[in-house]
Amino acid sequence: MKFKDYYEALGVARTATDDEIKVAYRKLARKYHPDVSKLADAEDRFKEIGEAYAVLKDPEKRAAYDQVGSQAKHGQDFTPPPNWDAGFEFSGSGFDPNSADQSEFFEALFGRHARGRQNQNMNAKGQDHHAKVMIDLSDAYHGAKRSISLQMPSHDVQGRVVMQERKLDIAIPKGIHAGQHLRLRGQGGPGVGTGPAGDLYLEISFKPNASFRIEGRDVYMDLPITPWEAALGATVNVPTPSGSVELKIPQGSNSGRKLRLKGRGIPGLTPGDLYVVTTITIPPAESEQEKEAYRAMAKAFDFNPRANMKVSS
Amino acid sequence: MSITNIQILEGSIVENEIHMTITELCHATNAAEEHVIAWVYEGILNPTGHSPDDWRFSGDSLQRALQALRLSRDLEINTPGVAMVLELLDEIARLQK
Repeated sequence: MKFKDYYEALGVARTATDDEIKVAYRKLARKYHPDVSKLADAEDRFKEIGEAYAVLKDPEKRAAYDQVGSQAKHGQDFTPPPNWDAGFEFSGSGFDPNSADQSEFFEALFGRHARGRQNQNMNAKGQDHHAKVMIDLSDAYHGAKRSISLQMPSHDVQGRVVMQERKLDIAIPKGIHAGQHLRLRGQGGPGVGTGPAGDLYLEISFKPNASFRIEGRDVYMDLPITPWEAALGATVNVPTPSGSVELKIPQGSNSGRKLRLKGRGIPGLTPGDLYVVTTITIPPAESEQEKEAYRAMAKAFDFNPRANMKVSS
Repeated sequence: MSITNIQILEGSIVENEIHMTITELCHATNAAEEHVIAWVYEGILNPTGHSPDDWRFSGDSLQRALQALRLSRDLEINTPGVAMVLELLDEIARLQK
């Protein structure tokens, strides 16, 4: 296990006051909040600073952390000394019930906290659970049966929180897209008393795909074409997510031309569109015959692509 | 670690197929009812119906409510602030299209 420097995570000195810690956290939280930030690592950074703040804002936890951390450096291998927490009394849980992703380091120091609120009623519906799942784009086009595995915290007989792996076989409905939720009735937490079980909400996202970019229901793909197909027009075969299509490239298509295939995006009541973006790819001139062809083009055209550029001498 | 296996589950796409009552929305998001009511009066959520008891929230409200909840909790923003952040995020998404 690696030691985590919570002061470094928030960019404050070890001597920082509570107010300085709060200001530093707020600034970073606004910058990296996953609902606001477009940075690729925003979610991980946000968890890191959230964890750091949860410890440093709490005088008891901060004192305990300072005690074990006075010698250690960030990223160093770290094992908490035996009985390190003797003499510290942590008052209550005080933890955000939703911060289920505490690091191993955090759990070793402060333990794992059970999530969620307690139901007061004798008979109540179980908790609704949330999880994220990644699917293939083709699953959204055709629908699919997939096996997913989820890590869920649950209580063992001694009341400790343990991670339980749960395998679910689910039907992915045709037409679902990233950001949407799939509700599975009765697959959440167990009910209390005679109450029914809660529901499980799966938030869908797409696995990264080298060939296609996805925006809502619309799908984008690059299509390499030759200079003569671009100039003269052509009909080419395009492997789209919903199968091969013959696509007409209009004559005079430059690189970056967007050709819309209506309704060939992600299916649904209002299906998305597929955009094919042309990329002109030039063939290498290796043989004498190929070089001659380029020279013939140079002779045939009076063309300067830099005609509009002001060239400084 | 134990492994549980069950049959193939069919779900519903929340955004397309589901309307929720205030109780269901609160249960799904773990948000307090008074928060959801405040979000409706601030225009963050737009259910049909005239009083909390007969409000029906469209499936999109789930994502919206989760966002509002995270923003108010993580950044300690009050309700008008959350509404403004969400409107600005919508505006950014619209401009980027």
